[in-house]
Amino acid sequence: MSIKLIAAILLGKIIFYITQILKIGGGSAAPGYYALKIYPNLVKDLASKIPQTIIITGTNGKTTTARMIAQVAIAHGLKIIRNSTGSNLERGIASTLIANCNLFPRTCNLDLAIWELDEAAFNNVALKLNPNMIVFLNAFRDQLDRYGEVDSVISKWCQTLTKIDHKTEILINGDDHNLLELKKCFKGKIRIFGVKDCKISGEKIIHQKENEKLNFEATNIQPRGLDKIEFKINSESFSLPVPGIYNVYNFLASYAVADYLQIPESTMKTALQNFSPAFGRVEKFEFGCIFLIKNPAGATQVLQTVAPEIKSQDRLLLALNDNFADGTDVSWIWDVNFEILHLKPPVIPHLMRDPEHNKLDSRFRGNDIIVSGTRAQDLALRLKYAGFDSNSIIVENILEKAFKEAQTGLKGSLFILPTYTALLELQSILTKQGLKNNYWEENK
Amino acid sequence: MKIIIGYLYPDLMNIYGDTGNIIALQKRAQWRGIEVDVINISLGAKLDHPPGGIAVDIFFFGGGQDQAQELVASDLVSSGKGKIIKSEVERGVPLLAICGGYQLLGAYYQPHNKPKLHGVGLFPAYTIASHDRMIGNIVVKSSVVSRQSSESLKADSEAILKTDDYLVGFENHSGKTYLKNEATSLGKVIKGFGNNGEDQTEGCIYKNAIGTYMHGSLLPKNPKLVDWLLQKALEVKYGKEIKLEPLDDTLENQAHKAVISKIC
Repeated sequence: MSIKLIAAILLGKIIFYITQILKIGGGSAAPGYYALKIYPNLVKDLASKIPQTIIITGTNGKTTTARMIAQVAIAHGLKIIRNSTGSNLERGIASTLIANCNLFPRTCNLDLAIWELDEAAFNNVALKLNPNMIVFLNAFRDQLDRYGEVDSVISKWCQTLTKIDHKTEILINGDDHNLLELKKCFKGKIRIFGVKDCKISGEKIIHQKENEKLNFEATNIQPRGLDKIEFKINSESFSLPVPGIYNVYNFLASYAVADYLQIPESTMKTALQNFSPAFGRVEKFEFGCIFLIKNPAGATQVLQTVAPEIKSQDRLLLALNDNFADGTDVSWIWDVNFEILHLKPPVIPHLMRDPEHNKLDSRFRGNDIIVSGTRAQDLALRLKYAGFDSNSIIVENILEKAFKEAQTGLKGSLFILPTYTALLELQSILTKQGLKNNYWEENK
Repeated sequence: MKIIIGYLYPDLMNIYGDTGNIIALQKRAQWRGIEVDVINISLGAKLDHPPGGIAVDIFFFGGGQDQAQELVASDLVSSGKGKIIKSEVERGVPLLAICGGYQLLGAYYQPHNKPKLHGVGLFPAYTIASHDRMIGNIVVKSSVVSRQSSESLKADSEAILKTDDYLVGFENHSGKTYLKNEATSLGKVIKGFGNNGEDQTEGCIYKNAIGTYMHGSLLPKNPKLVDWLLQKALEVKYGKEIKLEPLDDTLENQAHKAVISKIC
């Protein structure tokens, strides 16, 4: 058995070095994929050699939260490992372990593992990782074709939780009523975080729940444009150098994990002063900024953050792909509140009745919107029905051309909102233009 | 003119882009100077026959999660809403039901290892849960909309009638719906699964009520279908022949064609 494990690690390491030498990608899946074929228990065996393990799951904010925790843990002097390239299937975790663990002696020489797992991967991998803490960020409607309905995501998480060791602690976002269901399925310690006087927006249905007692609560939230957001936890002031209330939730989750790891608050404060999120989560460039959009809740939260910052000279580039990783069903764009991108409220009811003024509906901001991606036409239609003038919507399916078009004669800033695979495409376009490093070099 | 859209169980039956259908109905009416009200009809709400109650001019019924669907199925019966919807449809009031809504308006829904959910019996069809997940873009050839077009929009060119023949959308269901002998399908599946993935039928049409598995959202990309529903609603309400003002559908037709060229 042990010989098989050694063979698996060795093979994995060889594949890892080959991919590095040939520069054929980040080596984030292949080493683990082949090593698991030789030794299926690899993840369980290697993960057990790391003293502390944190799992982060949920629909939105996993990568940002993992990065925050990592930055704080490193500042505290911990040696950490995490699946940083968003590769959250078992093979991605196996690859990360293989790259970071030694063969002789079989140790990993690490203090902390931070794993982000998507809604489905959580159920397959969580038990093998024997976590000290599991963070549940949120459960929104996402790609129904991949993850299924929210109710079924929650009930599967519930089943998995019943098998998790009671020594594990779980951390739940108390403002997401769906997640509170998980309290019924876990007998161990549960801690809850949330924001005072704030309901998660972006989802239509908000069931009023009785006030949950929060262990970690943010108050006095003060957004400061796209630069930062300020708030208080236990009357202590914090300033996070990224925008959006959703990032306060990510911060709270990280804060609770830091608390669990007994990292002093002052270390956390200093470590996150210069926090920068992962590529495309909120990224500022000379020409403007990029915000990943991937589901109704996330996209609506991004629009709420971005809308007040768009000036009259600015432009918007939206890119919608329907590849597997984006979700092949683009219906979700109809649940996103694109209407808030208007400068003025879109409907003036008493004029609507007057046929003479029918066209008033489409007389809004003068700046162009460029739509791109494999389903650019669907986006164009969504914007038209959100009240934008059809003539100000430019449709260009090819992202590289659309990006060029958006930059030509640009006087203000460019706001780019891509779905996941469009973001990856954008990354390589920017790299080609010398604006961005390859993503697998990002975390070095 | 004014129309009232009755949105059935919007809090429970709105799983993925169903709102897009409401937006399309609303906008295409408003762009023609027709006033629109959307009223939400959910659990606990009463629905009465006109003239006593509110006269709904178009019903819309979306899809829901399994639990929600059970609640809604029993409410349709216990509150009497199902009966009223049925008699309104008999009167000619148009209705669009998608996925879960379509299933609940059929004769019954048979889940796995659970008792049957009785439907409203509006569509002569029944649904049986399966283990196949039918997911993907779908193109359906349907004469429903083009037949109407050829009657009331005689001036339209042959080319427009041809694109009218197709409806495009996205389906995601594991329930298999079977039409009874007397039923008329909405159309024939060109690409995709449709009612059951077996007989190439998709959806069902009864009087001016349409049941279908197509979302995507369905209506924005199929503007002729929106106009069909609006026209029927106005004709029933005002008791005269209605000719809707044409709109500039360039973006709508592009999105429609993009789906067809993607998968056909």
